[in-house]
Amino acid sequence: MAEFLMVIIGGLKIGAIYALAAIGLIVIHKATKTVNFAHGGLVMLGAFAAYLIVVELNWPYWLAYVLIPILIGIVATLLEITILRPLRRADLFIVIVATIFLGIALSETFRLAQNTEMLAVPAAIKGPPMMLELGEDLIIITREQIWVCLGALTVGVIGLLIFRYAPAGRSMRAMAANVRGAQLCGYSVNRVYAIAWFVGGALAGLAGVFAAPSHGVSPELAISVITAAFVAAVIGGFDSLLGAIIGGLLLGLAETLSAAYVSSAMKSAVSFLLLFVVLLWRPEGLFPEAKGRDV
Amino acid sequence: MFDRLRRNRAFRNLAPAATVVLALLAGLAVDGYGQFVLSLTVSAIVIGAALTMLVGYARCITLATGAMMALGAYGSTLLVIKLGVPYLLAVLCAGIIGGIGGFLLAVPGVRFRGHNLAMVTLVFQAVVVILLREWRDVTGGAEGLNVPPPTAFGMTLTDDYAVLVLNVVVCALVLISLAVLVNGAFGKNLRAVTGNEVGARAFGINVERHLIAAFVASSAIIAVAAALNAPRYRIIDPDSYGVIVSIFTLSYPIVGGMQSIWGGVLGGGILRILPELLRPVADFIELFFCILVIATIMFFPGGIVELLSRALRLNREGAAAAAGPEETRLAGPAETVSPSPAASSGSTVAPGGASAPAALITQRVRKRYGALQAVDDVSIEVAAGSLHGLMGPNGAGKTTLFNAISGFTPADSGRIECFGEDITAAPVEARIAIGVTRSFQHVAVFPKLTCLDNVIIGLGANGIWDTFARSFDESVNGRRSAKEREAARWALAAIGIDGKAEAPAGTLSLGDQRRLEMARAIVSRPRLIFLDEPVSGVGHQEAELLKELLQRINTDLGVTMLIVEHNIKFLVDVCDTLSVMSSGRIVAEGKPGDVIARPEVREVYFGEKKAAP
Repeated sequence: MAEFLMVIIGGLKIGAIYALAAIGLIVIHKATKTVNFAHGGLVMLGAFAAYLIVVELNWPYWLAYVLIPILIGIVATLLEITILRPLRRADLFIVIVATIFLGIALSETFRLAQNTEMLAVPAAIKGPPMMLELGEDLIIITREQIWVCLGALTVGVIGLLIFRYAPAGRSMRAMAANVRGAQLCGYSVNRVYAIAWFVGGALAGLAGVFAAPSHGVSPELAISVITAAFVAAVIGGFDSLLGAIIGGLLLGLAETLSAAYVSSAMKSAVSFLLLFVVLLWRPEGLFPEAKGRDV
Repeated sequence: MFDRLRRNRAFRNLAPAATVVLALLAGLAVDGYGQFVLSLTVSAIVIGAALTMLVGYARCITLATGAMMALGAYGSTLLVIKLGVPYLLAVLCAGIIGGIGGFLLAVPGVRFRGHNLAMVTLVFQAVVVILLREWRDVTGGAEGLNVPPPTAFGMTLTDDYAVLVLNVVVCALVLISLAVLVNGAFGKNLRAVTGNEVGARAFGINVERHLIAAFVASSAIIAVAAALNAPRYRIIDPDSYGVIVSIFTLSYPIVGGMQSIWGGVLGGGILRILPELLRPVADFIELFFCILVIATIMFFPGGIVELLSRALRLNREGAAAAAGPEETRLAGPAETVSPSPAASSGSTVAPGGASAPAALITQRVRKRYGALQAVDDVSIEVAAGSLHGLMGPNGAGKTTLFNAISGFTPADSGRIECFGEDITAAPVEARIAIGVTRSFQHVAVFPKLTCLDNVIIGLGANGIWDTFARSFDESVNGRRSAKEREAARWALAAIGIDGKAEAPAGTLSLGDQRRLEMARAIVSRPRLIFLDEPVSGVGHQEAELLKELLQRINTDLGVTMLIVEHNIKFLVDVCDTLSVMSSGRIVAEGKPGDVIARPEVREVYFGEKKAAP
């Protein structure tokens, strides 16, 4: 029982990171209709930046949480301005291909810049783990787990609230509903797209900072995060931010549970199984957003 | 002219294979390692060409190429070492294994497009690699398998040049068959599907089956190419076929160009040789690839092929010709319908007599969207040989009824009959076989195909096996493809756009595209044509011409027509019978002149209340 609870908490922690990455993916998709396959690369950049700030520069950890979202947000905005903006009139098919190769370019750049296989980043919060007694058993929870769980989820919820209630969020939702209509109401496509990429990039950067201590920094991080974020997004219906949070947590739980009770191979397979099952039986996701009738 | 076409077609199908044979000559000039690289390059050319079909023609992003290569390499190797199957037979079997893999991937996969399809292929890729890693007893797990050297006709091939010869022969044969498919009816149908899916369905192209076939064919070819390469690597392991391989092979058709099989041939060839030339900076090669792909997408989307052909054209015709190819927009004087269209056909079908079954009967058709009863108990009868109009204000349910009749959104209840045949539940693709075709409110021509090819698709012989047979027939200039072209030319002449037979449909003016749709609708000599708002967005003069055209088709070919339209004047002028819909019901029916004078119709349109009694 205690072991089970610890596995659950570990799953929620990983799930919270996935959720954060998925929210960024969906914000960009909702506002710009682009599925950003380079998102994993942005998360990896965030983790790498955390390494630079915390380990190389030896700056205080909180600076990583402040600087990195801004930094990765700017990188994402630059990608949108320099590469995706000229492709706005190209069809979505080719844009998807472009983001796939952008993602690889990001992780290749990292690989070239840093010749090590994997960089280690210390935990943000140190201190002895907390012990909870449960009858005979002892539940051990590290402070890092609590911090990542609560921190990532809080950021995710803030992102959700921004998208729902802030003026910038309104502009993105307007774009999502009807590009022409939003333009006619005075929203500039270029501005809204840039904002969406900034917000998406910032969320990806934060996801990287949260992921760095447990996952390490490596090019593989990019691929594992993009698939996880995508699966979380699909489980949630791809257009629902709340669905993505739930989808991320579900995926995190499924992964750690199958790693603990089935096999480590199952851990890598389970996300794909989930994706497959959801796409085939409920392509609209478990938590679809209500959609108007297409006229 | 015909001779030139014949030579041209043979050239188109054989030339890609000829480039592979060139590798044999190149192989004489280089050392053993060079020959080794050439063998790999030949395989890359084939993989690139197969991906051009899947990515360029069918527009499916696949991230499962590595998995298909793994199926071919592991499949053939296991057959050789576990079952003692001769190498060449094992390579053939690898194609079958790859084809099965493609089928398993595509059957669930083609329900999706775009990013979801890309993810499904990524799932397949990941699952195959996990299986290779975990099924240690068979695949050797992460350490991989030792691959024995290739054998042919009882001899073990150890010489690099001998292996190259073998690879070239197999790859050339594969490329020829691929070219036959892609340049023939199959490739054109794929272009039609991606150009306009709705239009493709209406003319009998089963979209899913075509995409599945594209996956199966390309996967089989990729697996064969990988099976040929496996002995060259000596050891194969899961890492040689990971997702990175999938992504980098995806760059072959993108960088090479996606408009023709040449894109994959050049892309695969160049991108496989390039790393060998760039050995001193080998570390940067992946990044360089990424930049190359993104630069291609941004600055020359046609890829290497387009750059080359532009350069060639410049050389041949001077700078002036390159600026304006002959098929620029032919707007303006398009309003010249030839006066005697169907006369040349000589086979005028008499309109159905009184005893003939009605062309179309709907009985109590209903369709509901949420709270809205869009079509409510509609029963209409379209007499054979008539021009039947269906009008009604916005939201009256015309389009919903029309979609139920043409099969795009099935009705909730009721019965729909064409010429006595129940078609209520028949799929869209089956309509053309019983002599029913349609036009579209928003023109649904296939922009990349020539007008002639557009019309040939209208003949409706687009079942997947039929399409393969037609591709083959076309490659050998068979009688069937000659007949198809003849029929298509007749239809184009009947509508009066035969001068544009070879122009891509996308370059035509809107009026000509509508005419092309008519040619496509009549070429199969249907008995009934559904016209969805044929004059929406068309000027007055153009509408007059279209009216004459419809009447001529009706009388000369004996085709019944059901016309849904907003333009009341047009309907009254052209139709024999007029039905008026409002709020999902038929409110009036009869002779056009009478119908529009009726108070209930005037109420619907002008809000005029019936005079109080």
